[in-house]
Amino acid sequence: MSIEGLERTRTDGTDEAASDSDGTNGSTAANRTGDAASDLDGEGLVLGYPAAEEPVVDGESIAVEPGAVTALVGPNGSGKSTLLKGLANQLTPEDGSVLLDGRDVHSMDTKALARKLGLLSQESTSPNGIAVEDLVYHGRYPHRGFFERTTEADARAVDRAIELAGCDHLRDREVGSLSGGQKQLAWIAMVLAQDTDVLLLDEPTTFLDLHHQMEVMQIIETLRDESEVTVVVVLHDIEQAARLADRVVALKDGEIRARGPPEEVVTEELLADVFRVDAEVVATERGPRVTPIRARHEE
Amino acid sequence: MSGEGSTVGGGGSSVDGETSRRRSTDRSRVGWLFDAKLVAVALSSLAVIVAAGLVQVSFGAYSMTVGQAWRAVLDPAVLFDPRWLLNFLLGEELMRTVTGFRGELPELARETLIVWNIRLPRVLVGVIVGANLAISGAIFQAVTRNELASPFILGVSSGAGLTILLTLVVFGSLSAFLPLIAALGGSVAFLVVYAIAWKNGTSPVRLVLAGVIVGTVFGSLQTALFFFADDIGVVQSAIAWTTGSLTGTDWEQVRLALPWTLVAVALSIAGSRQLNLLLLGEGTAKSLGMSIEKVRFALSGVAVLAAAASIAVAGIVGFVGLIVPHMVRNLVGTDYKRLVVGCLFVGPALMVGADVGARLGMNVIAGTDAQIPVGIVTGLVGGPYFLYLMRKQQHMGEI
Repeated sequence: MSIEGLERTRTDGTDEAASDSDGTNGSTAANRTGDAASDLDGEGLVLGYPAAEEPVVDGESIAVEPGAVTALVGPNGSGKSTLLKGLANQLTPEDGSVLLDGRDVHSMDTKALARKLGLLSQESTSPNGIAVEDLVYHGRYPHRGFFERTTEADARAVDRAIELAGCDHLRDREVGSLSGGQKQLAWIAMVLAQDTDVLLLDEPTTFLDLHHQMEVMQIIETLRDESEVTVVVVLHDIEQAARLADRVVALKDGEIRARGPPEEVVTEELLADVFRVDAEVVATERGPRVTPIRARHEE
Repeated sequence: MSGEGSTVGGGGSSVDGETSRRRSTDRSRVGWLFDAKLVAVALSSLAVIVAAGLVQVSFGAYSMTVGQAWRAVLDPAVLFDPRWLLNFLLGEELMRTVTGFRGELPELARETLIVWNIRLPRVLVGVIVGANLAISGAIFQAVTRNELASPFILGVSSGAGLTILLTLVVFGSLSAFLPLIAALGGSVAFLVVYAIAWKNGTSPVRLVLAGVIVGTVFGSLQTALFFFADDIGVVQSAIAWTTGSLTGTDWEQVRLALPWTLVAVALSIAGSRQLNLLLLGEGTAKSLGMSIEKVRFALSGVAVLAAAASIAVAGIVGFVGLIVPHMVRNLVGTDYKRLVVGCLFVGPALMVGADVGARLGMNVIAGTDAQIPVGIVTGLVGGPYFLYLMRKQQHMGEI
């Protein structure tokens, strides 16, 4: 559905051949214009963990822009991952609700929700012996009944996801034998195979080398430019967020301090307020460039 | 992955994609069964079962040659007579209702009678128990995400053990129902463990801890009950039940355990995809839409059913459920479809093989006719195997 016919932008001429071999029509925009992008709204969310007394996020609302990329930024412990888990229904809100296309995610059937909303967690574990392709096939779980075997549609979705994540050459490798960056691509392929309208990614670039950070960024860019998928991504690197996202939401101490287009949000004042650094922000063609200068110690 | 991987190399790999789509991993309904390693494991296990089974049916108080034993097993008077087969599998009464046969069954040769009446059922019970324990252990290892989990990790053995002792020592009049009581006791203990671990849902660690709590308390009570046993026969019987024994098993035990075994095997193969998903961790399984608490409880239920079926006929046989999934995983990989099928072969092989030692070992070593509980032999085999694994593998524990 939502990532139907998506191809990663390639500099050589092979993408034509690849999309033909798909067997489906590989033209990009044509078969997607029909379905509108999904709406994801968190309203008055109070989110916390059973062990802690104080909630991490205390009564915040967030309306994710449909079909766009929204980046959640903030310092460690600011509640961005917590907010993402709340949106993904991994954490039950103590108060407030999350609406996906107007329906409360908490009351939705878990499989129906997983067909519409995908989540890539920060730390994913898998048995080492599993092949990348088998891992990606697990992404089809919500699309299959209890006794159903894989269908042509599953195989196509898996091929597309692997293609989009650029890990075709890893297909038959065991996940345990991959580098951290390659593993991340495999996991992204899995969540892409889930073929959801909304995709939530929790720090997908953290701990990756530059090359793989760019690989992940390009996947998200492709989703932004060529699909109707609504993406919410938690990012540590504010410059990456500014470059990648249509909207940036900045959190501190579980509170949303700023939201809006990157050039409005990523400012020297915000960096001082939210990240507690003095920094220089220069507007460039690729969005704001951030040069951190020193940490602030306000007593 | 090199720097040019995403452009030039990436373009090349999309062409490779064409060929890799026809790779060896077959996604058709039965294609995965013909995995070379799995077939090798199945065939070598079958060889072990046949060899050990032949030893079992040949030797004993009435000794015969392997050739005689082989002919007795394959005696056409039984194999091609549905009345005799049903008589063994269903029992005489059911056989008569099914076939409507009223007369006397035809006479069998002496060897055939001994083999089919006494020695073969014991081998079959070994097969059933081995298969049950192996799949039960395999399921619990996925549910708790711990390679060192056994069928008895969630209290099943301690519950069964306690009810066995209670029956033998306190409620002697109920001992005819001992197999059912033991299986029931194990299942109840599992439910108690689950109730203790439950707090808005549960987790592998909570389950294992609750299993330890229940195991400790029930284990103490069980040991205490030994003090009230005044008859050495009762104590020996209790030990046989709590260490697991196939002595004296008969067609009745086959009939008791077989239906439950078939159910448990079918359910565990059907559940193998859920088991695979559990291995990806709770968070991932949940985000892929699995109702994790329901699935975990249901799969644990299947595992307890399998364990209870084996307890009912053989008592608490240790180590089989722990080492077999381990061995199979090393041989065929972590995919649960193959793992469960592999367990169905390796479990019986280990169990039937160990029972040769239990039944005839003392005869060879000490020249006596005494039999020892098979659980002692599996423990003697299992310990060194783990020692070997510990030396060989760096990482043990999490799957």
